Amino acid sequence: MEISVQFFGVLAEVTGTDRKHFRGIKSYSDLKHRIEDDFPEIVNYNFRIAVNNKIINDDPLLRQDDEVAYLPPFAGG
Amino acid sequence: MHLIQGPVTTSVISEAVAKGGENNDYGAHSLFLGQVRRDLIGGKYVKAIEYSAYEEMVIMEADKINKTILSEFGDVKAIEIIHSKGRVRAGEISLLVMVSVGDHDQASKACAKTVELIREKLPILKKEIFEDDPKQLVQDE
Repeated sequence: MEISVQFFGVLAEVTGTDRKHFRGIKSYSDLKHRIEDDFPEIVNYNFRIAVNNKIINDDPLLRQDDEVAYLPPFAGG
Repeated sequence: MHLIQGPVTTSVISEAVAKGGENNDYGAHSLFLGQVRRDLIGGKYVKAIEYSAYEEMVIMEADKINKTILSEFGDVKAIEIIHSKGRVRAGEISLLVMVSVGDHDQASKACAKTVELIREKLPILKKEIFEDDPKQLVQDE
């Protein structure tokens, strides 16, 4: 399946992009590995992951066209 | 919830207060303003903060905050949240929260809770922009 991943804040700088589409993704852990392979530096940063605008804690079941977001620590205010 | 480009200016603040005045059943407002600090980090002063946001999620989460506050504080009539995106310089305002209530009792508590939830739940991100070398700055001054 194809999954769109958005990178925000410092993570957009680390990856050099604010959005990337990943094709042929089999599962969430597959996606995570693909991201870490493409952007190895990302593991040095703190981040949370949202799927379709919701922060996830466990490995979610991804579906075609899901929107995944990599978010650095929130700093509103 | 509104994300606006640049700082929350005095005219934006005035408009929010004026809008509150259009409602006859509001008896009080609690207003919170968040300001960019000129922090010293790693030997350099913060000149500005560049805010970015996952806007779609910010709007959804702000809606949840609204519902949480309205259910927790029965006297709250309206909540206005305005946050900056883009660059806000030290000394400028980046966040406005205005909680309008029927009577004064719940205003401050509801406003403080709203601010707490904003900081915890809204995917708003920041990047510090630093002044030049502090030694150079002293010379400039």
